[in-house]
Amino acid sequence: MKNLGVYVGYFFLLIGSVLFWESKSMSYYSQYGPGPGMMPLWTSIFLIAFSLVYLLVNSKKDIYQISEVLPKGKGLVNILVSIGSCILFMIVAPYAGFVIGCTLMLFLLLIRGYKWYWSLGLALVITIVVYVIFVILLQVPLPVNDFGW
Amino acid sequence: METFDYLLLGFSTALTGANLVYCLIGVTLGEIIGVLPGLGPVAGTALLLPLTYSLEPVSAIIMLSGIYYGSMYGGTITSVLINTPGESASLITCFDGYPLAKQGRAGAALGIASIGSFIGGIFSILGLALIGPTLANQALKFGPPEFFALVFLGLSLLIGLMGKSLVKGLIGALFGLALSFVGLDISSGVARFAFGNTNLVSGFNFVTLAMGMFGMSELLQNAENKLVSNAENPPKVKGLFPRRDEWIPCLKACGRGSVLGFFLGLIPGTTASISTILSYSLEKKLAKDPSRFGKGALEGVAGPETANNAFCGGALVPLLTLGIPTSPVITILLGAFIMHGVTPGPSLFQNDPKLVWGIIASMFIGNAMLLIMNLPMANLWAKITLVPFRLLFPIIFVIMVVGTYSLNNNMFDVGAMIVFGLIGYFLKKTDFPLAPIILTFVLGELMEKTLIQSLVMFEGNLLLFFKRPISATILVIAIVIITWSVITSLKNKRLNLEDSEI
Repeated sequence: MKNLGVYVGYFFLLIGSVLFWESKSMSYYSQYGPGPGMMPLWTSIFLIAFSLVYLLVNSKKDIYQISEVLPKGKGLVNILVSIGSCILFMIVAPYAGFVIGCTLMLFLLLIRGYKWYWSLGLALVITIVVYVIFVILLQVPLPVNDFGW
Repeated sequence: METFDYLLLGFSTALTGANLVYCLIGVTLGEIIGVLPGLGPVAGTALLLPLTYSLEPVSAIIMLSGIYYGSMYGGTITSVLINTPGESASLITCFDGYPLAKQGRAGAALGIASIGSFIGGIFSILGLALIGPTLANQALKFGPPEFFALVFLGLSLLIGLMGKSLVKGLIGALFGLALSFVGLDISSGVARFAFGNTNLVSGFNFVTLAMGMFGMSELLQNAENKLVSNAENPPKVKGLFPRRDEWIPCLKACGRGSVLGFFLGLIPGTTASISTILSYSLEKKLAKDPSRFGKGALEGVAGPETANNAFCGGALVPLLTLGIPTSPVITILLGAFIMHGVTPGPSLFQNDPKLVWGIIASMFIGNAMLLIMNLPMANLWAKITLVPFRLLFPIIFVIMVVGTYSLNNNMFDVGAMIVFGLIGYFLKKTDFPLAPIILTFVLGELMEKTLIQSLVMFEGNLLLFFKRPISATILVIAIVIITWSVITSLKNKRLNLEDSEI
């Protein structure tokens, strides 16, 4: 199966099935009127039905070849690095603080376009500017380390 | 007279020092978003939502509205100077704007675009000020069945008009609705689809979904190939006004664009891009010499540019009076209203006139600011396109991550944003429209609440929706739209209007 559309169709079918299964455990109608399970149940039925229609139609004419629509080489690496750097920030920042976590994330994003020393410098400057805007000016709390940054 | 008094009240709110600054920040950021290719008003507005967390609701909405209509002005500059639309509504401007720039008349194209945008903006705000309160008063008589019918109509129009396939639009809408069920049920207090996760009990945050689906997915798409490419150097802009003989046809085009854009804005499911396409076709049809179009006809710039700005004001009418968003960017604005504890709808004009008229008045001021900023500073705005994407990308990325984190001060929202970003990325790759997802997500709660209230009123009899004249009329229109959409889909004659405003 090299058609991305088919996988997307299965994804929606899965979501619809989970929704259907879960909504069956909620009350459909109570003595006061419709219960919490009514809307999810009907939504899931329609979602499953349309996902099946899409899968049947999609496999015949609506073709999105994975090799054509998804990037390869540098493009793919750019995307993986973007996601990876974000996950790294999620892991590092709660322990090492925002400044270290964000600098690390930005360094990974910038290194693909700049020399390492430029990347490090820019990452540090952007982190400090963001820290000043969010923490000092907008008073938004960000994750901190033992030193408070 | 009452409207005039309220407008004065609005100006007293909008003209405070702080609100003037927020309006200026909003329109400037909007202008920048408009100028930057690859970052549309929907993604841009979603991205900048975190900057408004600590603001008063009126200041926050003034700033966010400024971003919205400011982006319409900005998108024109790159269309004319480098043949790259900053946002999709300015695509049509490339047709005649760029040829004009090549003829050394970039200044005239940008000048008439700014003047037209100003005329369109002011016309639509006047329309909003005149129609808004009357419509809101009528809507006060609406009960849950009428509101359910309205939401249903909005969704059917959006799904009926957008995307390449009706089935994809429906799947997207159902997916958005499914996401809106996650968390505590409003009527029973039962936690739905939380799977024992405490973060899911409070449901997905609107900002997380909007940032992921619109912001993150767009960034990922851009990251595929833009990290190394730089924009070309824009040409110098000289002389900002049309020739004497061009003024009358251009002003006529502005007049037509204003009316067309405003009324299209009132219709759910339309986008600013549609208004520009229709305005361009109209100007071409009415022109004495249609062959000039595509080679540098100034009316081809004036009409569409006016229409897209008039659309912005028109689209605010259903939002402020009925609480129903009509296009993706308006959905983001609705989310922003709710985030700041303001519920748009018929009672807003009565309960919070200071806020609603403050926003309307700020749009007059914002449009004037944009006119002043655009005419003499076009060269400066165009220079923004020279900022390399490899530098812009990490900055936007970090704002998104920090903005999402700061919603609840936990990493769960950041993780959810990444997941929604990836889902949005794959859906874009397979031509699924994203607008129905966000629209049903935002309207899901209202839809469920009004349906349940209606069913309690009707003792479970759905047919009683058709016994009330207003809800019956609205539902019949919605059913006609869906039927028409199904027929056109089956005959493969479906309008191919993608959710390009994103």
